[in-house]
Amino acid sequence: MSAGRADAAYVLRRLVAAVAGSFAAATLVFLILYWLPGDPAALIAGDDASPQMVANIQARLGTNAPLWHQYVTYIGHLLHGDLGTSFTTNEPVSHRLAGQLGASLQLTFSACLMSILAGVVFGVIAGVNHDRWVDHLIQSVTMFMTSMPPFWFGLLLVMIFSVTLRWLPAIGSGSLRQLILPSLCLSSLLAAQLTNMVRNSVIDVLEEPFVTTLRGKGLLERSVLYRHVLRNALIPAITMFGLLVGELLSSAVVVETVFARQGLGRLMVEALGVKDIPMIMGVTLFASTFLILANLLVDLSYSWIDPRVRAA
Amino acid sequence: MPTRREFYWGLAGSAIASAAGIRPARAQTAGGELLVAFDGASVVRFVLDPHNSLFAPHNRVIRSIFDNLVVLLPDQSVGPWLAASWDVSTDRKTYVFKLRQGVRFHDGAPFDAAAVKANFDRLSDPKTVLYAKAEIGPFESAEVLASDTLRITLNRPFEPFLRNLSSTKLAIISPTALARYGDAFGQNPVGTGPFRFTGLTQGTEIRLERNPDYAWAPPTASHAGPAYIEKLTFRNVPEQATRVAALKSGQVQVADLIPSQNIAEVKADPDLRLLQKELLNTNYSLALNVTRAPWDDEEIRQAFRLSLDIGAIVRVVYLGTAPRAWSPLSPSLFASAEHELANSWKPDPAKAAAILDRKGWIRAADGIREKDGKRLAISFIDAQGNREQRLDCIQLIRRQLAHAGIALSIDSQAPGAYLQKVAQGEYDLAAGAQFADDPDVLRRYYVPSERVVAAAIRVNDPDLQQWLDQAASEGDTAKRAELYRLAQHRIIDKVYGIPVYVLLYNLATTGAVTGVDIDTHGFPQFHGARLVAS
Repeated sequence: MSAGRADAAYVLRRLVAAVAGSFAAATLVFLILYWLPGDPAALIAGDDASPQMVANIQARLGTNAPLWHQYVTYIGHLLHGDLGTSFTTNEPVSHRLAGQLGASLQLTFSACLMSILAGVVFGVIAGVNHDRWVDHLIQSVTMFMTSMPPFWFGLLLVMIFSVTLRWLPAIGSGSLRQLILPSLCLSSLLAAQLTNMVRNSVIDVLEEPFVTTLRGKGLLERSVLYRHVLRNALIPAITMFGLLVGELLSSAVVVETVFARQGLGRLMVEALGVKDIPMIMGVTLFASTFLILANLLVDLSYSWIDPRVRAA
Repeated sequence: MPTRREFYWGLAGSAIASAAGIRPARAQTAGGELLVAFDGASVVRFVLDPHNSLFAPHNRVIRSIFDNLVVLLPDQSVGPWLAASWDVSTDRKTYVFKLRQGVRFHDGAPFDAAAVKANFDRLSDPKTVLYAKAEIGPFESAEVLASDTLRITLNRPFEPFLRNLSSTKLAIISPTALARYGDAFGQNPVGTGPFRFTGLTQGTEIRLERNPDYAWAPPTASHAGPAYIEKLTFRNVPEQATRVAALKSGQVQVADLIPSQNIAEVKADPDLRLLQKELLNTNYSLALNVTRAPWDDEEIRQAFRLSLDIGAIVRVVYLGTAPRAWSPLSPSLFASAEHELANSWKPDPAKAAAILDRKGWIRAADGIREKDGKRLAISFIDAQGNREQRLDCIQLIRRQLAHAGIALSIDSQAPGAYLQKVAQGEYDLAAGAQFADDPDVLRRYYVPSERVVAAAIRVNDPDLQQWLDQAASEGDTAKRAELYRLAQHRIIDKVYGIPVYVLLYNLATTGAVTGVDIDTHGFPQFHGARLVAS
């Protein structure tokens, strides 16, 4: 079997697993929503509604049908690519998702980029300078960053860059300038964790016998570091990254609130409050797909960084 | 070697340097755009349909897009607005409105009697579930007598009617736009107001522009013609510290609901100006579930209240920026008994302890009282979180109650579960407030037939019901006020509710803008706003 076909089969297998994973997540969330107290129809009808009005709305939403019926209907529509209609606005869920998606993707990608850059750069610096003052400094800063709540850090950024220096806007989404502070805030935790991860694996790899051998063969230190050490040190960091992306998605709601941004996080919180089931399902499906795809990319990147993975 | 922090500063600096056309924040407002940061809470969906929103933040935006038939004057009487004059029949069941002429909706449709009738028909349609339905009371029919004359018939006298017509909840919408947008009207609002809607970004921004034809401002306005500013943009900034930061950095010229810890700072800042006005409403009050033990016993309710020092709580939480409330109705609302009821009771923990001892509630080893092996433990149900620092108040109440031997727990629920538990009476204590333009709002709380399914107030007091029903149709203002006085005294005497604080709605502006105002209801107005060249 050629390497290309093996790759394709691997990706296909992973994609099937990804679809199954999203499906399982959707089913679980559907069951949890059904079990949670609160009637969405009563919420939509509002305080002043009569029981008859509530019943009419239940019939319109289909929430008076038995659980299995609601579930089969939902999955049936899903298979046709229909995410359903939001209970509260009567707009298609896909439409409401699309409205918030741009801002969320911008924030997530720029935060990922910032954390990878910072994590690799500072991790390598700290690892190479193991136990010297630079390492201690980076360690202290990352310790500080991991213990600070993003909420507090966000307000600190606003105070420094918007109120005092007046360099960057405090609120809004859309422009590049409006993206900088929120991405910094969101990436802080992830960047600190990645820095630690990369640092530790750089230290481990530097102690491996093959590094001594390479150095003994007279290779330039820079070449040893970038071609061999970094490559080996990145693998555990990348694994960690796949897990941390989930954390990024869940803390986005805090950042969206602090910086008054659009985003899926706030959409989800609002939908949960009013038990807008199709909306919650839509965001869940999107988030789980995103997470699964991110982890798929992580897995694929192993083989790019270390070709031995493909053979295994 | 850079530290992480230096790296971030450097990154931020270079990103700015590379962004073309950096301008100081203030220059962004050139061209007459006024930016307002408002507290829209974490609500992603804007609903700008006046007839279908009870959410005060959205009503603050609605105020700029729509006008009403009448305006609420500072003395709480009503004055002409889109209705130039009106006659009320002697049986007070028929109102004939003479409408102002030459008014047009933003979509070009004429404002006339047929348009107003369409508004009432929409509100009274038995198939709808509009929030504002309760505001039109015993409405029976609307008839077009001439293009500028409309007759409205009620099936019994309803004194709050004119005042309700001044509320954003009964603002006049364009029937052609309603026909065009249907359910999506709330995201495509069309009215006759000083600003017309141009677009929104769900959850973050609402964009309006000046209505150049506007010539029908109410008598309370600073001037009759179109607004001065060209564009009015509302940005939803739910985090209070960010709202203050956006104002201080000049990114917006107006921010509302400045938190109490920042009020002194805003007042002291020569570049900022603070406006505040009482929101006409039912004061935020604790509601005791009188349908279940222990609150079914009036003496226990008295003991509960005597254990509390509400004055101290309000001083500590709001730092002197919010007055303490004594009456169910906010002080400026018509017939409020705030001044009469001030100091009508005072905390007396010793007396509270004596009542509880006598009733058989004896302190156990952990300090909490017990009777027949049952602890005196009660739960406070909540769905709103710490909006207006309300949960901070509840935390202090919990501490004072613990001293008295009563254990209070906070039962935080999502809105859905909250409504379900309240509807089933599974709570001991709840609390709330509602913006209102007439004391008739009490009828919806204390008259069981008017009550909503999930009503936190479950009092069943025949005298109270009779006074409130009578007051709704009482034509004599003095008699009507007297009935509300009786009702408010009864609510406090019997400890059906315990008022906590009076909400002063506030907004702060930078020196870049003048003429922003707050109307009699307590909603912001931008018709007279003017930008100052910097």
